[in-house]
Amino acid sequence: MIGIARSVSIALCALLLAGCATAGGSPSSSATAAGPAREVLPNGLVLVVHEHRASDVVALQLWVRTGGRDESPEELGLSHYLEHMLFKGTPTRPPGSIDTLIEGLGGASNAFTSYDYTHYDVVLPAEHLRAGIELLADIGVNAAFVPEELESEKTVVFEEMNLVEDDPEKFLGRRLGELAYAPHPYGRPILGTRELIQALTRERLAAYYRKHYVPRNMVLVVVGAVTPAEVRALAATTFGRLGGSAPARPALPPPPALDRSRRAEVPREEKQAYLGLAWRAPATSDGDIYAVDLLTYILGDSPSSRLNQTVRERLRLVSAIEAGYVSSEQGGIVRVTARLERANLEQTEAAILDVIRRVREEGVTEAERQRAIVTAESSYAFDIETAEGLAKSYGQAETTWTLEDELAYLARLRQITGAQIQAAARKYFGDDNYARVRFLPK
Amino acid sequence: MSDARLAQATPVARGPGGPATITRRLAPLALLAVAALLIPAGAAAQVTYQKLDNGLTVIVRENPVAPVVAVVLLVKMGTRWEQPATAGISNFVHAVMVKGTAKRGGSELAEAVAALGGKISATGEVDDSELRATALARFWRELLGLTAELALEPTLAPGEVATERDWLQSRIQKRRDNAPSRAFDEFFAALYGAHPYAIPVLGTAESLARVDHAQVVAAYRAGYRPERMILSVSGQVSAPEVLAEARRRFGGLARGGGGAEPAIPSPVSAGRRVEIEMPAQQAQILVGGLAPAMSHPDHAAVKVLSTILGGGMAGRLFAELRDKRGLAYAAASYYDPVREPGALVLYLGTAPENAARAEEALLREVERIRREPVDAEELSRAKGYLLGRYAMDRRTNERQAWYLAFYELQGQGRNFPERYRRAVEAVTPADVQRVARQVLGTVTTLVLRPK
Repeated sequence: MIGIARSVSIALCALLLAGCATAGGSPSSSATAAGPAREVLPNGLVLVVHEHRASDVVALQLWVRTGGRDESPEELGLSHYLEHMLFKGTPTRPPGSIDTLIEGLGGASNAFTSYDYTHYDVVLPAEHLRAGIELLADIGVNAAFVPEELESEKTVVFEEMNLVEDDPEKFLGRRLGELAYAPHPYGRPILGTRELIQALTRERLAAYYRKHYVPRNMVLVVVGAVTPAEVRALAATTFGRLGGSAPARPALPPPPALDRSRRAEVPREEKQAYLGLAWRAPATSDGDIYAVDLLTYILGDSPSSRLNQTVRERLRLVSAIEAGYVSSEQGGIVRVTARLERANLEQTEAAILDVIRRVREEGVTEAERQRAIVTAESSYAFDIETAEGLAKSYGQAETTWTLEDELAYLARLRQITGAQIQAAARKYFGDDNYARVRFLPK
Repeated sequence: MSDARLAQATPVARGPGGPATITRRLAPLALLAVAALLIPAGAAAQVTYQKLDNGLTVIVRENPVAPVVAVVLLVKMGTRWEQPATAGISNFVHAVMVKGTAKRGGSELAEAVAALGGKISATGEVDDSELRATALARFWRELLGLTAELALEPTLAPGEVATERDWLQSRIQKRRDNAPSRAFDEFFAALYGAHPYAIPVLGTAESLARVDHAQVVAAYRAGYRPERMILSVSGQVSAPEVLAEARRRFGGLARGGGGAEPAIPSPVSAGRRVEIEMPAQQAQILVGGLAPAMSHPDHAAVKVLSTILGGGMAGRLFAELRDKRGLAYAAASYYDPVREPGALVLYLGTAPENAARAEEALLREVERIRREPVDAEELSRAKGYLLGRYAMDRRTNERQAWYLAFYELQGQGRNFPERYRRAVEAVTPADVQRVARQVLGTVTTLVLRPK
């Protein structure tokens, strides 16, 4: 489901690697009546448990507060490389055996890297809760980094680098992020560089792992047909026994202000052109996120949105257009992206600016505000259909804002007025303060 | 209303890496599925079936889990009924259908859907065409009303035909520019030859240029007859209320006759090898063969075969070619349930310099599965994975509504999931080897090289 609540928490993963699904709001259905229970273990690990009996599965997610922003210039790409290596084995789990275990139980696993966090996800039939928690606790601190496995994974990461370039939409997102954030770490390559990965040694990776993968940096989220008591008991005897102190996160300068100097033109093989514009938007801790989220939805997050209705349907300038709010802990962007014929580039950019200008000058209608809020509510309602959807929203909240904010999200959204949405448009969206990337057919 | 979002946040950092919604389906619901019940998907759910007097089938699944509702309307029209000259017409019809009705224009429709917290999309597929709608459950009546309006009273205005043609041409171009999509389209063309499954669901630039307004209207009228339609609703709803509303909205549609099944010659495995070049970073390698239809007794065995080779990260292609040897980034297999002969496709995406070795290694895996029986542990992993994924995929209302309608449309019977689960569990190593020899005896290969 595409919705507004999702857009606020898409975070930087939208730019690169993660699949993000999140929403806020107060739990409202019978399946989620109890809501999540949060506790901090003595060693600093945060445990979030939610008994959710929509089906007989359990989603287990280990979130680590380590991502691209924590890397030094010599460490670029290590967070992501770790993400590739963790499911490969530990001293007691030989290479390949983890996938065989999970899949043989009828489960699935995945992992994602962002600038703010890395997470490891497992979904299993609920009766295998113990196996899932033991597995995550094991790979969380005991990854083996078998030298041959570490070497062969390099070619996989190189391929991943190539692949992003092959996909115009992903590549546009990446270029726009680099342009809108440089020199802030959010503008650096999350996969690292070819040179750094080629030269990567087991010692360097292991040192990075030991430094960052400590209980104080970890959040374990468990959602499914399980009781908090059984999860607590299992977490205490596994994750609860881990030790180590967390390093302080590096202090980062604020993301730069944007102006007309941030422009990039990229010759591409596709026959169609792409246009991406990015405005600086508030960080997740900022009270403006609610108004910006509603505004982004009204601008371009549905077929009824202003950009779709004006630029695509009425002016017929683009084949596709949308707006998305890429929020993150240190400061977000709102981006507008479009696929179009090259000849329409100038006119389309002017039309987008004109749509935004009208919001600044005239505000939005009450019907638009209402639709945006109902969409947020709907997005949340669809997310709670699955355990992993809920777990992801909790994990993301714990690592980029707070669980409390997440749970209050929908209620806060409902309080935003049309005047506040207009004020957000005036504060963040100018005619000059955006970065621009254009993909031009060769 | 049915374009993929530009900035979808879906790339997966660690999966088998194949295109998630490969092959031919346009719907976001693409599945590699077939059936089974490992996990009672929404244990509380009750399913009611009813055939209206005009022949339209209505299915309602009451599911109290979340305050949402999904409506799916499947119609018997799709590429299976198309010719090269009309390629893509089913999908074209659906692109135009959502642009306006007798009561509302395109922008009013979009606003009406958004006001329900809803989404509606429509596509032509292979064996069917689909209207899919979701909303907050408290708006179920309005959502059903909008679905009926789009299905039964579309304007199909000449101006919209022209506009949507341009838009679809842009999507065809986009698909041609994308290496994996292009590779799959070319592979199916080579594998199926004169069979309509060779036709991409979007159609071709040439066919869409020729299809005119009158043909769009005629195709709509031929398809949208009650005997060819299945309406399925799943969510926090009451079955008697939904059935009454469905009768009110759809019951007045006059019978039109079910229409004849298309006469389609069986495709012949030619074992072709096709090489193409296009600008890209990654080489694409597809190897596969014709496989049983979903109604065939060997369907479950081929699903297991497909899972052993390319299902998940413990599948042989991922484990051997990517994890152990780093020869490919994407490694997966696909075998969709379809009416006519299906296709088992083994897929690798890799760096150009690895392409030759990757293809060789892939063919060795094909040879190995034909030659050696699979061991018990691997077979058990594959069955667990296959049935687990299927159960996981059937947890949401949207998917449930779709599955219920799809099995009905395919004439598979209402106990299909349970029959399928038993069939998968009964598959033996000898079955796997036997179907491997049949399906992968003569393989068709497509290699797309970056230039």
